Amino acid sequence: MASPKNGKIKLNVNDLQAKAHWLRQELFEMVMRQKKGHIPSCYSCTEIMVALYYGGVAKVTEGQPDDPERDRIIVSKGHAAMVQYPILADLGFYPKSELERFTEPGGLLGMYADFRIPGIEGISGSLGHGIGMGAGFAMAARQDGQDYRTFVILGDGECYEGSIWESAMFAAHRKLDNLIAIVDRNQLCILGRTEDLLELGDMEEKWRSFGWEAISIDGHSFDDLMPAFDRVGKTDGKPLAIIANTVKGKGISFMEGRSEWHNRMPSDEQIAQARTELGLGA
Amino acid sequence: MDAQPLPKLMRDAVIDTICDAARKDKDILFISADLGAAALDGLRADLPDQFIHAGISEQNMVDLASGLALSGKKVFLYAMAPFITARCYEQVKCVIASMNLPVTMIAVGVGLGYDHATLTHFTPEDIACMRALNGIEVLTPGDAEAAKEIAKVAIADPDFRYIRLDRQGQAPLYDGGFKAVYDQGFGHIVEGQQVAIVACGALVQKALRAQETLTKKGVDAGVIDLFRVKPINGEGLSKVLGGYDTVLTVEEQLLEGGMGSAVAEALIDHNVLKSMKRLGMRDGFEVVNGDRDTLHDLYGIDTPHIINAVLELAGKA
Ligand SMILES: Cc1ncc(C[n+]2csc(CCOP(=O)(O)OP(=O)(O)O)c2C)c(N)n1
Repeated sequence: MASPKNGKIKLNVNDLQAKAHWLRQELFEMVMRQKKGHIPSCYSCTEIMVALYYGGVAKVTEGQPDDPERDRIIVSKGHAAMVQYPILADLGFYPKSELERFTEPGGLLGMYADFRIPGIEGISGSLGHGIGMGAGFAMAARQDGQDYRTFVILGDGECYEGSIWESAMFAAHRKLDNLIAIVDRNQLCILGRTEDLLELGDMEEKWRSFGWEAISIDGHSFDDLMPAFDRVGKTDGKPLAIIANTVKGKGISFMEGRSEWHNRMPSDEQIAQARTELGLGA
Repeated sequence: MDAQPLPKLMRDAVIDTICDAARKDKDILFISADLGAAALDGLRADLPDQFIHAGISEQNMVDLASGLALSGKKVFLYAMAPFITARCYEQVKCVIASMNLPVTMIAVGVGLGYDHATLTHFTPEDIACMRALNGIEVLTPGDAEAAKEIAKVAIADPDFRYIRLDRQGQAPLYDGGFKAVYDQGFGHIVEGQQVAIVACGALVQKALRAQETLTKKGVDAGVIDLFRVKPINGEGLSKVLGGYDTVLTVEEQLLEGGMGSAVAEALIDHNVLKSMKRLGMRDGFEVVNGDRDTLHDLYGIDTPHIINAVLELAGKA
């Protein structure tokens, strides 16, 4: 991979789009091999993850998952933490062959991310813990005089958990401007649309009222994502919440915006259709 | 050969039963923390006023249930096992147990049911935690029939109950006989003399497989489905276990405080002192990619481990 050995990887928008395309393909192959995983939840945050890792946002060092100066990236909606797996292999944190052993006996990569996987900062899978964990990383960085930042990807359904708001209040009080929450606002959880089931309302306003700087963007547009991440470090002592409006299942037409695909596997016919849409061979 | 029909899922049996009752009783409310089921789609469509989505907010779900129960509602809470127990344990303790409210907690995927999801989704401690709550009843149906009958009781006689449902369908265990043993709190599925194997939930099936092999090996083992671990029928259980030479318990729980502990407590309290062995998960258990059977093997609670433990207890190892 063309990137500096140290520091940030910065691709242009065209290359970022290609990378997002690549990530969707890799994820599809990985999940369909074993028919285990959460494709729609990964696809709504695909561009977010690509922008973070490849858009010159997060500090990552190829082959060095434990670099003490790395930015910490936590996918708090842990059922989608597998979105990181192809990226972490691409960064040389573990062999690419591990992707083929996803969920298989003896493989490194499980259905849910685990802190033993190089590049995964902490365990996830129970919703609502990532922001508090992230606040911990952010405070440690502050205490240790370190410059690294902590990025936490949250589900919008996950924001129903009260623990999210306990940590949000704490982070604002502590002026943790080295903590960034990206809310994957795909408007869906498992049983349907968030606004029908239990209204989340104006997320931007909610985070702002908790003392965060908050902005809303199109979470699939690099033209939106990159300027949003440019705000990091310029928030005048406030943690930053990026409300990324997204489409669950983005990239596979029959899954887009449909909650029933959360944990369902496509039929052979549907797999063929998805492969065509994703530009994968038959 | 025709494929065996898949056993009905316990959750669908329970929800169908509650749904039928809810049609006739407006005070029955079903609350989910964003967990679905095939049967739930029907309930939501037919009885929208009696279905509540609590949010992915288990703590809110439990606190909410207390207010509803205090207002005379018959409340059924429904979520994945790890999140309806550990995630909101303090709420359950303070507002449900402390006021002894008639709230039915329905957990899906107990033990290692969410095999591949591993640590955050396992409940190796839910029996210990939940049976430690004041005034709770803890029930683990072994098949869809048992699940349905337990749901009927929860409807007819609302009380503070924790119902532990298996995520995967379990083969029929009772063949219409569950009702007859409900009050007893356990089912003596296979009678024997030498070693009693006590299990609940999915592991009853493993115990039955072991029992078949043991018969061929000339060991007369029995199988007991301990579906009610609290309040445990100590008198009845110790009487039955007293008829055996030795006792083996097997569970998908850490040994500290689990089902095996409950059995040992019952025996001690009733002065039935037997040689006994407990199979279960141990501190520091490893996590690997694998299905539930793989995990059973790894944790030493699979059929061959049961067989070996029984042979040891029977002095034939
Ligand atoms: C504490 C907790 N409760 C429930 C679940 C089960 N669960 C897994 S994913 C999910 C829906 C998540 O919705 P959202 O956060 O919006 O994520 P996305 O739609 O992007 O997948 C639920 C309820 C869980 N993992 N953790």
